[in-house]
Amino acid sequence: MKKNIAIGFLGINLDNGKGAKRWERWRPSVDLCNQDDMHIDRFELIFDSKYMTIAEQVRADIKLVSPQTQVVFNEIDIDNPWDLGEVYEALFDFAALYHFDTDKENYLLHITTGTHVAQICLFLLNEAHYLPGKILQLSPPKRSKPGSSGAVSIIDLDLSKYDAIADRFERERKSDTAFLKSGIHTRNAKFNGLIDEIEHVAIRTKSPVLLSGPTGAGKSHLARRIYALKKRRRQIEGEFVEINCATLRGETAMSTLFGHKRGAYAGATKDRAGLLRAANNGMVFLDEVEELGLDEQAMILRALEEQKFYPVGSDVQVKSSFQLIAGTTVDLVHAVAEGKFREDLLARVNMWSYTLPGLSDRREDIEPNLNFELNKYSVANHRKMSFNKEARTAYLKFALSSEAKWTANFRDLAASITRLCTFADGSRIGIVSVEKEIARLKQSWRLSSDHDFEHILLSVMSQELLAHIDPFERPALANVIDMCRASQSLSQAGRRLYAVSRLGRKSTNDADRLKKYLAKFGLNWQAVNSNTALNSGQ
Amino acid sequence: MIKHEIIIDGSIGEGGGQVLRTSISLSAITGKPVRIENIRAGRKKPGLMRQHLTSIKAAAEICAAETHGLELRSNAISFMPGEIEGGDYRFDIGSAGGTVLVAQTILPILSHAKTPSTATILGGTHNMWAPTFDYLERAFLPLFNRMGGRTSAQLIKYGFVPAGGGEIALAVKPIQEKQALDLQERGEKTGANIIAVLANLKRDIANREIKAITKRMDIDKSQAEILHVDGPGPGNAVSVFMDYEHVTEVFIGLGQHGVRAEAVANSVVVAARDYILSEACVGPHMADQLLLPMALLAGGVFTTSDMTEHTRTNIEIIKHFLSVKISTKQLARKLWEIRVEV
Repeated sequence: MKKNIAIGFLGINLDNGKGAKRWERWRPSVDLCNQDDMHIDRFELIFDSKYMTIAEQVRADIKLVSPQTQVVFNEIDIDNPWDLGEVYEALFDFAALYHFDTDKENYLLHITTGTHVAQICLFLLNEAHYLPGKILQLSPPKRSKPGSSGAVSIIDLDLSKYDAIADRFERERKSDTAFLKSGIHTRNAKFNGLIDEIEHVAIRTKSPVLLSGPTGAGKSHLARRIYALKKRRRQIEGEFVEINCATLRGETAMSTLFGHKRGAYAGATKDRAGLLRAANNGMVFLDEVEELGLDEQAMILRALEEQKFYPVGSDVQVKSSFQLIAGTTVDLVHAVAEGKFREDLLARVNMWSYTLPGLSDRREDIEPNLNFELNKYSVANHRKMSFNKEARTAYLKFALSSEAKWTANFRDLAASITRLCTFADGSRIGIVSVEKEIARLKQSWRLSSDHDFEHILLSVMSQELLAHIDPFERPALANVIDMCRASQSLSQAGRRLYAVSRLGRKSTNDADRLKKYLAKFGLNWQAVNSNTALNSGQ
Repeated sequence: MIKHEIIIDGSIGEGGGQVLRTSISLSAITGKPVRIENIRAGRKKPGLMRQHLTSIKAAAEICAAETHGLELRSNAISFMPGEIEGGDYRFDIGSAGGTVLVAQTILPILSHAKTPSTATILGGTHNMWAPTFDYLERAFLPLFNRMGGRTSAQLIKYGFVPAGGGEIALAVKPIQEKQALDLQERGEKTGANIIAVLANLKRDIANREIKAITKRMDIDKSQAEILHVDGPGPGNAVSVFMDYEHVTEVFIGLGQHGVRAEAVANSVVVAARDYILSEACVGPHMADQLLLPMALLAGGVFTTSDMTEHTRTNIEIIKHFLSVKISTKQLARKLWEIRVEV
């Protein structure tokens, strides 16, 4: 049977008492050891050394009522028992040095004695698992039964053990993640995992968050949802300000962000607060942050670190405290290498970095998003929109196939649904509309064919892996993959790809050269080809 | 040799600690293993409490028993007794334990050892919910010794709740000659006296108690005595001893914080008067205590005022261990005869 170890403060008032009369008083630390149905094997009594006399008395009295209880003195130095920092530190040190043997001993943190601050510290350290065990509270005996023992309540602070609360937490958490996903029942496991993590972080951190991913992956939408969630949880008060950095060019960039004083430059006819000030106590979403000029980057960094900055033309600093969410479509590490992005700013915004997959990486989410977009249109236009069965099947078949490139990801999908709804006769979307829309989509993706090689690469690797490949290498690798897919075997592909250089060699092993080239990118023949099969099969 | 366990339902009757102590004493003496289930089922705090645990542990030590489930709040225990070993024992049980309860449990056991024993028990001697030392010494032991017991008890230090700190010493010699108990008449009244004990309290309390008792009972003030004792905590007990030719009964009131001395005295007077007015030799509590040694030794007969649930339960448990005949007969409204034939 496990031993019961009580840990508690000596109550310098409650546990104190002189002469025989002390037995007429309820003294919690003594009473704790005098319970009918509970035995304390060891009592770790914590007290300031100046109360040694009281401690000695308590120890002697515990020996009388419960000879088998060992009372251990733990002397600490606390000048002010109402100073949270001091008490916490003292208890923390106690916890850090104490040898807890939870396999053999149960720990009961006795909170009846000691200041409220001591109680709070015991709660905190218990909740943070520095002090294992359960909280124990005694209550005095009833007036009708003087001399008897008081009642014991044992409280387990592990909230997950309280089913009702755990359920409620889980429901709340689920509703929060659903909130971040705008209520779309996304099916992609990776995306759902990502949202779970963001939900976890979003409600805790005030640090910058970096959202990367291809255009249209939903970065700005997600940033707005994070803001709304924090607002709902009352963790943020100010406004949400969204800026696409690609639109901040030239002279006005600085003043748009940081504001200016009247007369700062030609055309500055009155004071301007600037967007960062508008976002005081709120959230700023800087989309395409890589487009920001180096000067602006330096200012942003300073504003993040000091929550202060100089408006253009002003000698007086203004304050603004905001949470930054940065969005990017490129690999910022690469941008740093190219000297286009400040390394220190990257380090700052990279604290919580999430990559949103493009639509082609989460095709299972096309249908839920399609429903969402339909619903959104319906609500906005007071018209309940729906596909007829044939049209829906045809549209989804195309949307899920490799033919559908979705180069602008969810933006493409949203635009496509809006067009379908707009052109629909009444509230039904028919097969004819769908066929026209498919043709329109194909046409638009052909126009953006300069991105084709990226698509080939994305068919064999994730966006994150792609981000690690130099743009220099990308067309070449895409070409190799294309050639492989057009060839019958590794050797045939090798002969075609090394058609020139192989002529100058004594011995040729083109298959091996190709194999090694692919291996550089973590690829092989099977991976390249199985993916073709997979895509064409869809 | 495989011995079959006797299974006792710990919830029968009033299902209190008496069931446990009687079962354990009988198991130790008869050598029959016992399993007690549903211990104190249905109580607000079910299972073994500290006061039960200390008695059972003491018994286990004396007969080298193998035990299972012997822990606080346990609702089932197994007790496989070994040989009873006479010797010098010391049990430090704390104030919550109740030294007299331990004494009552181990007395019959040590009396069945081959060699003499001594036992020192430290803890509370005057607890609210347990018989006090005065009862043990003046009322129970004379009857026990009459049946063949050879035990003496001495109070070394008083121990009042909640501080405890008391000490009692037992000297137990093995039983040699068994004697049937014949207690159908109290016989002539031979005396009555009052003892008021004070620990760390003012003498005035004892004076008031004695005054209240002598006013309402036929006891002369010269037969009252005030005892000042040492102890860690405050304590007060007032006892009335009624001596008859064949039996002594003890009535005790324990002083409590917040209860007037007169009220404590009155409770003693009420209990003593009830006894005086009845014809029975012993009260219900003594009846419970007598059954066990009678069944173990030479049987006998006594009269008591009530047939309580406790007493019925005790009889039932004894029959689990011993093949004795116990018959009860109501002679009058407040008069029962209990006969034990071995």
